[in-house]
Amino acid sequence: MAMNFENKSSLNRFIQNIDWILVATVAFLVATGLVAVYSATLHYGSPGKFVATQVAAVIIGFVGLLFFAIVNYQFFKQPTWVLYALSSLFLLSVLFFGTTIRGTKGWFNFGYFSFQPVEVVKIIFILVLAGYLDKNWREMKYLPKIAIPVLLLLGQVGLVLMQPDFSSTLVFFPVTIILLFAAGVEPLYLIAMMLFGSIAVGIPLFATFLKLQPGFLGAHHYFAYFVKATRGGWPAFNILVAVTGSLFLFWWLLNKFRVKIPFVYFVTLAAIIIGGSLSSAVVQKSLKEYQRKRLIVFLNPEADPLGSGYNIIQSKIAIGSGRFVGKGLFSGTQSQLGFLPEQHTDFVFSLIGEETGYFFTQLVLLAYFILIWRGMVIARESRDRFGSLAAVGISTMFAFYGVINIGMVMGLMPATGLPMPLLSYGGSCMVSALWAIGILFSIHVRRFTH
Amino acid sequence: MVWQQEHRLSYEDFLEKYQFIIYLFILLFLFVSLRLFHLQVIRGNYYRTISEQQRTQIILERAPRGIIYSAGGEVIVGNKTSYVALFYPFTQEATPPKTTLDRLGRILKEKKVINSLVKGWRSGQVVRLAEDLTRQEMFSLLEQRLMIPGISVVKEARREYAYPEAVSHLVGYINEITRRELDSMSEEGYRSGDWMGRGGLEQFYDPKIRGTDGGWQIEVDAMGHQTRLVRHVRSTIGNSLYTTINLKLQEVAASALAKSPTGRGAVVGVDPRNGEVRILVSSPGFDPNLAVTGEFTQFLKRKDLPLFNRTMQALYPPGSTFKIVTMAAALAGNKASLSQVYNCQGSFKYGNKTFKCWEKKGHGRLNMTQAFAKSCNVYFYQLALKVGPELLEKYSRDFRLGEPTGLEGYSEKAGLVPSPEWKKEKLRDSWHPGDTINMGIGQGALWVTPAQMASLISTVANGGTVFKLHLVSKIVNQSNETVARFRPQRTGMVNLPGDVWANLHFALKEVVKNGTAGACNFKEFEVAGKTGTAQNPHGKDHAWFVSYAPADDPQLALVVIVENGGSGGGVAAPLAREIYAEMFNKKIEKDVKIEGVEKASDE
Repeated sequence: MAMNFENKSSLNRFIQNIDWILVATVAFLVATGLVAVYSATLHYGSPGKFVATQVAAVIIGFVGLLFFAIVNYQFFKQPTWVLYALSSLFLLSVLFFGTTIRGTKGWFNFGYFSFQPVEVVKIIFILVLAGYLDKNWREMKYLPKIAIPVLLLLGQVGLVLMQPDFSSTLVFFPVTIILLFAAGVEPLYLIAMMLFGSIAVGIPLFATFLKLQPGFLGAHHYFAYFVKATRGGWPAFNILVAVTGSLFLFWWLLNKFRVKIPFVYFVTLAAIIIGGSLSSAVVQKSLKEYQRKRLIVFLNPEADPLGSGYNIIQSKIAIGSGRFVGKGLFSGTQSQLGFLPEQHTDFVFSLIGEETGYFFTQLVLLAYFILIWRGMVIARESRDRFGSLAAVGISTMFAFYGVINIGMVMGLMPATGLPMPLLSYGGSCMVSALWAIGILFSIHVRRFTH
Repeated sequence: MVWQQEHRLSYEDFLEKYQFIIYLFILLFLFVSLRLFHLQVIRGNYYRTISEQQRTQIILERAPRGIIYSAGGEVIVGNKTSYVALFYPFTQEATPPKTTLDRLGRILKEKKVINSLVKGWRSGQVVRLAEDLTRQEMFSLLEQRLMIPGISVVKEARREYAYPEAVSHLVGYINEITRRELDSMSEEGYRSGDWMGRGGLEQFYDPKIRGTDGGWQIEVDAMGHQTRLVRHVRSTIGNSLYTTINLKLQEVAASALAKSPTGRGAVVGVDPRNGEVRILVSSPGFDPNLAVTGEFTQFLKRKDLPLFNRTMQALYPPGSTFKIVTMAAALAGNKASLSQVYNCQGSFKYGNKTFKCWEKKGHGRLNMTQAFAKSCNVYFYQLALKVGPELLEKYSRDFRLGEPTGLEGYSEKAGLVPSPEWKKEKLRDSWHPGDTINMGIGQGALWVTPAQMASLISTVANGGTVFKLHLVSKIVNQSNETVARFRPQRTGMVNLPGDVWANLHFALKEVVKNGTAGACNFKEFEVAGKTGTAQNPHGKDHAWFVSYAPADDPQLALVVIVENGGSGGGVAAPLAREIYAEMFNKKIEKDVKIEGVEKASDE
């Protein structure tokens, strides 16, 4: 057996080791996506054009998939800083030479097609982070050392926000947190980080939200005080003092009743709250007016009732009205009559729900979960830490893409404008998703190579 | 399996984290999956309904209302077919081809037709291009249908009132339902834009005759463009009404009233054998055909109130026609006999008040029948005092004064029968003998409608049977099956001794033969009746004539009132004569001798 095995050509070995479940799943999702895009663009009058473009993207993506599957993934392990510089260069150049579509300067226009660099940057970032954590995992036990991966994250996110493209940044955060967690960072640090981050970003977001809906909390005196506090000044200071004061009082009381919790936790918590609040002022100041405006619609679709709010309502109607078996392929009234917005891109899942009904839609959801599950299995079976981390990163990316998109079209989340990988119309997204799967294959086929 | 060149423990450490991450992902997808189940399975029907609602639009096709026939089967209110040219924007090119516009322009010849077509084309809406097409226009359009895509000719029913002035109050009119009515009537199936009957039979039988609307269910896209016809639901014509109206008599009465001195008044004719109303005219009438147009406001503005249904909404003092009740009460209550004699000197003094007779020089000595025929007031003042207010009220009520007749109509008035109790309660004043004196000749606080008087004289004519007055004999559905039949309905009896009826009937005949209603005397048959000239504070007297004929076999009980017309004998009786002449096919003898009519003014 061993002799036979070695005599086989490397191609044979490659084919033998391929994850066929993943191949079947991806093929199913891509095929479903193509039919859905065809159905979605039927009433535009030229479905052929859209499907042809999508097929072209699938082909380019597939060629890339083969390339990344054949190339040893370990090739991306060492040049972490080169990769980071490359992706930063992408993001910088799109800021200078990019084309603006719907207020976001995020596309390179090549005439026949345009390309969104952030889609590729997401994958490079996963490789960069996996590479860095692979080399420095021992130091991740120390809090200050986490600063470097966090700075790596903020560097990329900052560049994306300058486009500004809020939705695309959404996936960077869970990917970073999960990767740090997988690499062995103390969960408490991560929780502290998330707390700090949500205070720093949450306060300006909350302030913006309140500005949009003045009657939301303002009715009551106490709430009114909080509203005032979001604008800084003495009310903010008073609240901070009150919060830290009560924290210490709480610790003292616990101590009295012989519940011994190290004092340092309370100090840290207080520091996070104060630090988060202070940096929120920085975030608030650094937000430009046009960014704030986009943020408003992003947070509160009802502020634009004929825009995102309308979209979500129509999307829910589309999915719900599909019931068990759907209205039939190409016969969805919500989609074919144009009630469903962006039905070939962000809302393609709603079209599937309307036309094919619960059973098939649940099957698509299951297929999507299998894709993520295979990614995680590949992470477990990888022959090295870099491969495991990269696979976890890619799985996480797919998982959050999926949950955010489907959550949005089903009215669980604000309309973010994230596409559904492998299903939605959109070349850059399709290509980058297939490339990422190529990297998964590359990790998988080499799992026995020692 | 272990990572290359790494310690086993660090891989196991990773596996722990790996487990946690897998669970997190399972949780997230379970959550999303449940949401999918909620939307599609639990709330599926709800969202399906919404999606159906927002994708379809209904273009209403109004049902034709039922037809209203006369007793003789003539169509009083019908529907005429109107042809409407519709434009459907389905499967159209972006811009209207010029050839289409030219062809249309040649047929319809109206500039705005082309404009609305282009507008409909742009917005993707069904457009009514032209209404009331002539036959020639319709046939030209149908011929060219293949050449002019998207044009269709649709039949629509329009309400048509063939005898507008004569039947206006009988049938009423229709116009669009109001916002306020919708609030209370939407549960009964009324929708915005529906026609609603107003007054008369159109209103009273509206739920029966309105029919069931149909419509075109049309698919609309998100932009509001109509994309295709989903289905067409035919409308169902409403039930038809067979009335008891004699159209010929109705027309004669209407034109006679219109020619009367003031042109204002009412005629109500009832068959005393069954309570079927043969004539119901209020004058002036109006043209119900104009109800949906702006011209209708002229009827609202006019001082002579053409929309006021005088047959049942107007209250008048009955004047001397009430002497029927007074006499019946006196005889039946044994308060006086026929031979009771009073001397009329032209006026009657009671206390410090003087009550005058219309005959200033006085009638001299009269018995009851003579006094009734001459309508002597002085006689009846004294008779009323003998009868007393209690009996006057009782017999008034027996004859159904003071209560609505229940005629199919709109806001019928109840009138008023005064009594000592009523006066005490409402006016906080005690009843004086003067009130009894006034009541005896049908003045004072007594108020009646022409319909009530018709019921009264019909009851007298048939000898005491009170029939419920009704206008509709049967209702038939669209397949001509009878869905409701209205048979004569006795609602009570006025029980007077037989000789009282005989004496009353004789006296009524005397009124025509030798009394104030000579103008209605025929050689060929006998008419019985009583004139009235009712005083009113607002102007000239109202002229009344209540009668029936033939006197010994009554077929029609007739009430004529001409508002401010003057004397009953001089104005109302000749009007009744025209109706009887028509009914019994007699030419009106122009040279008929009318005694004392010129000066007749019976109060």
